[in-house]
Amino acid sequence: MKYRKLKSVALVALSMTLFANSAQAETLRVGMECTYAPFNYRTADGELTGYDVDVAKGVSSLIGAEVEFVCQKYDGMIPALLANKFDLIVASMSITEKRRKKIDFSSPYRISVGRLVGKKNGNFNLFNADGSVNVDGFDGVKVGLERASTYENWFVAKVPDANILRYDNNEAMYLDLQNGRTDVIMTNPMKAFLKFLSKEDGAGYEFVSPAINETEYFGVGVGIGLRKGNDELLGRINTALKQLTNDGSLEKYALKIFPFAIHPDKWVDLNY
Amino acid sequence: MTFDFSLIFSSIPKLLSGLGLTLELLILSSFIGLVLAVFTLLMRISGRWFLMAPAVAYIYIFRGTPILVQIFVIYYGLPQFEFIRTGVLWPILREPFWCCVIALSLNAGAYVSEILRGGVLGVDKGVLEAASALGISKSQRFIYITSPIAIRLSLPAYCNDTISMTKATALASTVTLLEMTGVARTIVAQTFSPYEIFISVAIIYMVMAWMLQKGFGLLEIRMSRYLKATAG
Repeated sequence: MKYRKLKSVALVALSMTLFANSAQAETLRVGMECTYAPFNYRTADGELTGYDVDVAKGVSSLIGAEVEFVCQKYDGMIPALLANKFDLIVASMSITEKRRKKIDFSSPYRISVGRLVGKKNGNFNLFNADGSVNVDGFDGVKVGLERASTYENWFVAKVPDANILRYDNNEAMYLDLQNGRTDVIMTNPMKAFLKFLSKEDGAGYEFVSPAINETEYFGVGVGIGLRKGNDELLGRINTALKQLTNDGSLEKYALKIFPFAIHPDKWVDLNY
Repeated sequence: MTFDFSLIFSSIPKLLSGLGLTLELLILSSFIGLVLAVFTLLMRISGRWFLMAPAVAYIYIFRGTPILVQIFVIYYGLPQFEFIRTGVLWPILREPFWCCVIALSLNAGAYVSEILRGGVLGVDKGVLEAASALGISKSQRFIYITSPIAIRLSLPAYCNDTISMTKATALASTVTLLEMTGVARTIVAQTFSPYEIFISVAIIYMVMAWMLQKGFGLLEIRMSRYLKATAG
């Protein structure tokens, strides 16, 4: 039994090296949660769909590889990749220094941003025309955000005198926004859209800021993960992602779900 | 795990920036609570059922529910009603600070009125009989004879309640207020060092409790002078 298992592992490893060397008839096994709507999840018909799924399909078709999805719990994602259960992680995984010690990442295909939500026609004057912060505009404006989130770090750095209300969870923050205890909230625009703005409760509210994506505070974003030492594959993935960014495919994938794009507006090269 | 003592010393000044708000909550709530308690006590011992019943109900409700739940009901529950949000009280109820003051005051009122009632019941009957024999009226008896003795009798329990109240102000951190515990939780979320920070904040609360205990102790000694005189 043990021997057979060993043998199959050896076979997989062998086939992997073969595939990496020959670009044709290659199958890329992609790990994702399959339960993380709207990025990777199954529809009622059992079909895998979402932004991550579109990206994985887009990349593999440009590379000329078949794609095969493997569902894996998020907390075991990196160990499973390292154990060769699949070849790529396309699971909305943020690129962090800690993870980069274990695996390689492609350039980001989705960004981490923050955005302010407030009442429609609230006459906010929080940002200048060029998208920079208008510090004076925050006079007398109460800003709700989650305690110790990246948004708090950004806010304290940019508008030190802002009147910040710190919440322990999102629900309380949205309740207070609707009650009028806080004037604006800073949050993840994708969540804000899916859970609030697109719902009845959020009808009187809108984004009152541009997307704020300073990587110094919010990180570079979400990338495709792969085992270290696959530089050739990494190169091909990056080329494919660059093409998907430039030809508008990534925007198209996002617009299926959100009324805005969620990829970096400028091509980001991670320095390895 | 390593225990970073220097973090305790460096975090205490930051934590003290929340002390002002903690004290404001404590002093305001204790004061309003005391006023409420006196009125509730008078209703409770009035002997008239239509005054006693509301007092008993109020005490029962606020002693029977957690302060945290009371804060949540006032802070999150009330604004669910349209008439609250458009009503005259909204400027007060929209502020987390006042929501906490209301909850803590109502709570203190319920507990302290029972403490005072214990004091009133503890006054020696003989003293009151002597007073009435001297022709002192009922209201004068209450003001000049019952009250001073009842207050002295209530002091140890009242001290206890004030210390409880000091610690209950920490619950304000759950509704965005940056009093000491709120500051501590924010620092913990930034430094990932719960031990050091929470121990620091515990030390500050302990110092406050010690000061309250000492203060009430001195007050008690002062108010018991007449007992010493007779003993000596």
